Amino acid sequence: MPIKTWELDPNFKNEILNEPGGEHLTACYQCSTCTLGCPITEIVPSYNPRKIIQMSLLGMRNEVLSNPDLWICAICQTCTARCPQDVVVGDVLAAIRRIAEKEEEAGNLKIESPRPLFEKAFLHTVEKYGRLYDIGLALEYYPKREGGKVSGIKAMMNDYKDFGMRMAFKGKMGPLGGHGLLKGVLPSKIKKTDVMKKIFEKVEGK
Amino acid sequence: MSEKKLAFLPGCPSEATALDQEISTKAVFKALGVELVEIEDWNCCGAAEAEDPKLVYALNARNLAIAEKDGLDVVTPCSICYYNLARTNNALKADEKLRAEMAEIDPSLSYNGTITPKHILDVLMNDIGVDELKSKIVKKVEVKVAPYYGCYIGRPLETAFDDPDDPVLMDQLIELIGGENVPFSYMKTKCCGGPLMMTRADIAFEMARKVLETAKNAGADCVALACPLCGMMLDAKQPDVEKALGIKIGMPVVYITQLLGLALGIDPKSLALEKNTIDTKVILGKVV
Repeated sequence: MPIKTWELDPNFKNEILNEPGGEHLTACYQCSTCTLGCPITEIVPSYNPRKIIQMSLLGMRNEVLSNPDLWICAICQTCTARCPQDVVVGDVLAAIRRIAEKEEEAGNLKIESPRPLFEKAFLHTVEKYGRLYDIGLALEYYPKREGGKVSGIKAMMNDYKDFGMRMAFKGKMGPLGGHGLLKGVLPSKIKKTDVMKKIFEKVEGK
Repeated sequence: MSEKKLAFLPGCPSEATALDQEISTKAVFKALGVELVEIEDWNCCGAAEAEDPKLVYALNARNLAIAEKDGLDVVTPCSICYYNLARTNNALKADEKLRAEMAEIDPSLSYNGTITPKHILDVLMNDIGVDELKSKIVKKVEVKVAPYYGCYIGRPLETAFDDPDDPVLMDQLIELIGGENVPFSYMKTKCCGGPLMMTRADIAFEMARKVLETAKNAGADCVALACPLCGMMLDAKQPDVEKALGIKIGMPVVYITQLLGLALGIDPKSLALEKNTIDTKVILGKVV
């Protein structure tokens, strides 16, 4: 891929450096230890955190932010643990993902991966109940991912019908559970949900 | 261990998908004479889904602050709860300004950094310790085990309590109870795929397959683990992995507390061994 120098954004690295977790980006000396040990690269050969960092340092802002591979990191910390330069690679990628999400919110970018939708749906249940509520998460995530209620519920049933039956049969969720009739089916709500609301409002600046 | 009382953070999966871990953890600590005091009104740690460090610090400052009021160290059976608690503890201990920032969000987030968060595997092996465990073991659990550690026990280094590439605490515990560790070092700390399950199930299933089939090929009777999210991916979702990839694995997956509980003479029902998705009877036949 030829690099068009006139399209580079020399400020992109500073953007990452200013994002929490992105502070050590410029320490990278491109040794590729991150990528060689990555369990995702083993399965998806195109996945290359070293290259994402190099492109970021060069200022290839658009290419980096629209790279679908940003969203398949499993946050396993192998790259972070092995990096000889303490780049904290996992956190750098998270910082880049957050910049991409901000760009999407501003209407400048379309993220194809459903991961931001998933993370938001997860955190919405934490904000509302104080704990993760799996079913609430799924009921928000699937319709948004599929772009409609009917197709969303269909996709959810496809993924979770068998799983739900298994959990009910084992008494881990639902009416056969030894821990209350609707354990796992209804949300487990904490008392201080007002504190959760404050945390999300103040941290996310909502 | 001098302190016989710990604050307990069960973590969100404890109430449903990881009920087996929850029940066996409580049974084991009771048998060992360590009281677990559940953190009152505890909240979610943010798991892997809260990517903003500030959000992680705020969510975990609240749990830490509640435990600190009782002056108790916190123990959790969940690796990601542990990671989030530990990195919050490190960050807040080192940064007075950050502590003030947390307290400003809400007074209940005021944490002074006087307690230590720990993972159950760390408490069992390093605080309670091998000698104490040895004195309470009444049965031999003669199973071949693939000890699976996953991500946050040895990584990242700032919060780890075991080796990042070749952790040993679970191996030692398995030997202590009369089990045998199969050769598994390459897979011990590979990610199970859990965080990608809802957004890239294809990659997640392939990651889980590698762990499970490596264990099977090494001749293991079961995989032992110490994280409810690994349990979700490797046990509860195992039939989905099999279906998606058109393979048969049938590898029992148990929590390390379930194996230890058997060695302590606790009956299998009190360790919820009937609640694991893949049948665990093969293990029960090897308890002598």
